[in-house]
Amino acid sequence: MNDSGSGPGGRFAIAGLGVTEQGVHLGRSARDLRREALELALADAGLSRRDVDGYIGTSSATFDDIRHLGLAPGFAYTMQSGGATATMSILNAIGAILTGQATTVVCMYGVAISGGRAQLADGSTGGYGTFSYGYPRLYGFIGAGMTHALHARRHMYRYGTTSEHLGAVAVTQRAHASVRPGTLGYGKAFTLDDHQASRMVVDPFRLLDCCRDTDGGVCVIVTSLDRARDLASTPVVVAGIGTGHNMRNWWTGDVYDLHDDIAPAKERAFGQAGITVDDVDVAALYDPFTISVIMQLEAYGFCEPGEGGPFVAAGATRLDGAIPTNTGGGQLSGFYATGFTSVVEGSRQIRNESGATQVPGAEFALVSGHGGNGGVQNTWAHATMVLGVDR
Amino acid sequence: MNPMDLVPDDLDGPFWAGCREHVFLVHRCDRCGRAYWPASTCLDHGVAAMTWQPASGRGEVFTYTVVHHPYDRSLIDKIPYAATVVKLDEGPFFHTDIIGCPASDVHVGMRVHVVFDDIDAATTIPHFTPDPQG
Repeated sequence: MNDSGSGPGGRFAIAGLGVTEQGVHLGRSARDLRREALELALADAGLSRRDVDGYIGTSSATFDDIRHLGLAPGFAYTMQSGGATATMSILNAIGAILTGQATTVVCMYGVAISGGRAQLADGSTGGYGTFSYGYPRLYGFIGAGMTHALHARRHMYRYGTTSEHLGAVAVTQRAHASVRPGTLGYGKAFTLDDHQASRMVVDPFRLLDCCRDTDGGVCVIVTSLDRARDLASTPVVVAGIGTGHNMRNWWTGDVYDLHDDIAPAKERAFGQAGITVDDVDVAALYDPFTISVIMQLEAYGFCEPGEGGPFVAAGATRLDGAIPTNTGGGQLSGFYATGFTSVVEGSRQIRNESGATQVPGAEFALVSGHGGNGGVQNTWAHATMVLGVDR
Repeated sequence: MNPMDLVPDDLDGPFWAGCREHVFLVHRCDRCGRAYWPASTCLDHGVAAMTWQPASGRGEVFTYTVVHHPYDRSLIDKIPYAATVVKLDEGPFFHTDIIGCPASDVHVGMRVHVVFDDIDAATTIPHFTPDPQG
């Protein structure tokens, strides 16, 4: 018996999904994107504004403007745990429902950041180098690319992973995006040669190893599965959630060899869902940089440690591969809605709405998120979520 | 660029003061001997026995990235450079750069030691450079 706890136990669901246009320089405000995402999610669920009695925002600001959204919930707060925030907001929504604080909780994301650096609540303009612990900035450490490159370098050193392996991730996900309208990569497939010809940014990452910021809004409505069954959309069952934190691996010195703290999160989430890695039909992994996919595939056990590069290069993450991964293009070629990118694609797969990259009969989707930085190293928080069909 | 303008508070102040004297310090728990950087609270013994103590200033390159894209105008003349994490012989990681060799020579496992760069009367920045015997 594992220590997976009582968990969501399949008793809660994503009952509404609202996704605005996602892209670079949309020219719209974050508040307007959130408003549209809310209305799309409400329409999807067949709910009205007055049904929403809980609100969890995920912006960097302390308070989201729920007045502008036209909401009157019993509670509203914003939370921040980097790229793990999306799944953690769903976890918190379930907690609120379990403790009787609400029945219908909105989890909201909406930003307009692609025109420049986001301004944080403290008035700074962000960037990991100055985010909260500045001394690495003395040496030119700025941004998430460098911090993820530190993981990639270790992986190359330990296992012989190559730039071509990284490129295989980029090419595969671009192929997925190229047939998915609304993504950055729609209609724009590229080859490994294109990847190898793209300029080096932070070695070993070339330009095509990196995602880019996009504007957009996403709204997820969480409620009980019983209630979700009476609503308009197909329920996406939250089968399991687990969390981890890379500070554990900082103390042991393993923080650069482990992309993020997946092991305890996987055990809890898979235990709650009652599944093993073999039961996962489709993976939606948090992928700001190509190495992220390779190291997560290993950590979840889709392949052995060190084999992630050859695994992807052999086609394992394609639609006809062992584990179709980031079928919406991921953050690399789809859109960058932090952790909501993977929540959206995992939900669409369970709802059979992934169009040209739908995995036929997908019953379990794996969703991951990582990130945040409260100190000198990136990729702190981690969250794993298993989404499933209603059976 | 003054380190004290970049960090959240003055808890690392003794380290940077040590650099001005060309002494490389680590934060150590006197009860268990574990060394930390930056200023820390011992996992097992709290803050009570934490003191700043001289360290070897030696270690090895644990991981790095050679930066080709200048993320800030101030870095245009610096690229390409090796943004590096050194694993100090005392145990902690230290973010730094490697000077005294081309960035393309930097590799995991390279033995390095600290060198101090006196920017002005009030500011000294520690960098790392390859050991003569590699």
